[in-house]
Amino acid sequence: MREPLLTHPRLTAPRLVLALLGSLLILFIIGPLVRLLFMASPSGLGRALADPELQASIVLTVLCATAATAMAAILGVPLGYLLARTRFPGRRLLLGIVDLPVVVPHPVAGIALLLFLGRHSLVGGTLASIGLEFVSHVPGIVAGMLFVSAPLLVSGAREAFATVDPKLERVARSLGDTAWESFRRVTLPLAGRGILAGGILAWARSVSEFGSIVILTYNPKVASILIFDRFTAYGLPAAVPAAVLLLMVALAVFALVRLVEPREHR
Amino acid sequence: MIRLDGLRVRVGRFDLVDISLEVPSGGYALIIGPTGSGKTTLLDAIAGHAPLLAGRVWAHGEDVTSLPPEQRRLGIVYQQYHLFPHLSVGKNIAYGLRGQAAAGAAVEARVHALAALLGITPLLERGVHALSGGEQQRVAIARALAPRPSVLLLDEPFAAVDPATRTVLRRELRALHEAEGITTLQVTHDFDDALRLGDTVAVMAEGRIVQQGRPEEVFRFPNSAFVARFVGTGTVIAGHVERTGDLEADGRFAARFVSGALELHVVAEREGAAHAVIRPEDLLLSSAPLPASVRNRIEAVVERVELLGPVVQVHLAAGRDLVAAVTTATASELALRPGVRVWLGLKATAIHLV
Repeated sequence: MREPLLTHPRLTAPRLVLALLGSLLILFIIGPLVRLLFMASPSGLGRALADPELQASIVLTVLCATAATAMAAILGVPLGYLLARTRFPGRRLLLGIVDLPVVVPHPVAGIALLLFLGRHSLVGGTLASIGLEFVSHVPGIVAGMLFVSAPLLVSGAREAFATVDPKLERVARSLGDTAWESFRRVTLPLAGRGILAGGILAWARSVSEFGSIVILTYNPKVASILIFDRFTAYGLPAAVPAAVLLLMVALAVFALVRLVEPREHR
Repeated sequence: MIRLDGLRVRVGRFDLVDISLEVPSGGYALIIGPTGSGKTTLLDAIAGHAPLLAGRVWAHGEDVTSLPPEQRRLGIVYQQYHLFPHLSVGKNIAYGLRGQAAAGAAVEARVHALAALLGITPLLERGVHALSGGEQQRVAIARALAPRPSVLLLDEPFAAVDPATRTVLRRELRALHEAEGITTLQVTHDFDDALRLGDTVAVMAEGRIVQQGRPEEVFRFPNSAFVARFVGTGTVIAGHVERTGDLEADGRFAARFVSGALELHVVAEREGAAHAVIRPEDLLLSSAPLPASVRNRIEAVVERVELLGPVVQVHLAAGRDLVAAVTTATASELALRPGVRVWLGLKATAIHLV
């Protein structure tokens, strides 16, 4: 039987101070969001839902975020497995590189991607010659989203795989499984929830991305850019309904993450 | 059968070298070594999960050294059992049956037969999280046996259960081994496992097998002070052998073993530095001086008395520390307690020199 980690705290003076300090931060986080939700009138939300430009923008955002997450999963889950299961020279460096996008300011990431994937670069020029253009095209949105969200998926997958004891795979192999079968029948089912949680976080991060996309592909507009565009052009009343809609999408995703996340991570 | 031919295995910063052992078909062998001596890595290497630096592994008459684990037909049960947490008990046992041409009904029959054999039928539909240590071990053994491996590899199978369960599981494992007739190779740090289960035991020290043979032979006649101490044969005393008699036809001679203030009459094969191994049950305790016919008569003082079930272990100071074992009846008859003076008798031939 596992010992309970949390006990009911007695209200002592030091604990009261800690609770008060924590409460200030919690208020700072939920205050603006609640204020925003209450700003939008039902009629304003209705108009926003019927707005074809906003509809197209949200569909574009969701599709691009899904594509970026799928690519992050295809490329990042094997990397997460490798990082969790093997020790090799340069592993720590690789871990640092994977986390690098987290510390790079997003407009900086946008400029770096512009230089790397622009028509005048070697990579961008080569890809453009086969019809894959990034700057001011949809692939540019996906590239920006992939850059900022991939670390979340790789870390999620790495942590999920690290919780699966390698001896379980060995037992499966000795029971007749090939390496792939033991991965599919044992490792993946046990790490699945952690990987899915990482994937949803990566997807949510993609949906909220602004800084790199605004430099790579201003048009067509993803939701975050459309909200910025309306705010600068028409002011707060025009931006709020769209902002509330995007916030609701983000909250729904957040709830989903909490549902699928492995219990011990909560 | 399983045969290990000169295995060399890397364990962290040291190597296990020249590990050779043959277990005949249906045999039960144990490799015994201290905790941290690389026993689990050795099993992993045999099963194909860790690389071999040298040597060959033979199973069911075939060289399996270069085969992947899934083709070796070696079942493995780890110390912590490693049941699949996302599967029920029944599905854990059936796991290795999927690849076989067996139909669903045959799989179910095999699972039920093994569950019945191990007394876990009521658990088949349950998850594995709430099982006790003993139940988990039974499920892990059933799972390993299900695909009918040619050899069963056991990694410290009793380390994670309480002593009472250990006794029951040892008995059950021996019965199961006899019923299934499966060749078994177990690694353990506990020589009791070897005495109760094994046909053959190999003792490992500093990465090598230093002695192998029948468990009772290894126990009674350890070939080094390390083995004597490790298997718990008796008190091990470092000293010196000096010849006192003529060489007999069997190559042995009467001698004196000297260790500090303790002098013993012994029968030796060589002179010089040696260790004397004195088994607790060979020491005769008396409250009065012993007759001259007893070759070694030693005066000693009781230091500590420990009750071990029906046997009492008596720690004695006699120039060197000695340990004797007597029945509880003898202990109370002699009124053994710390400070009491006793006389010890010991046959010269009972002292094992290494």
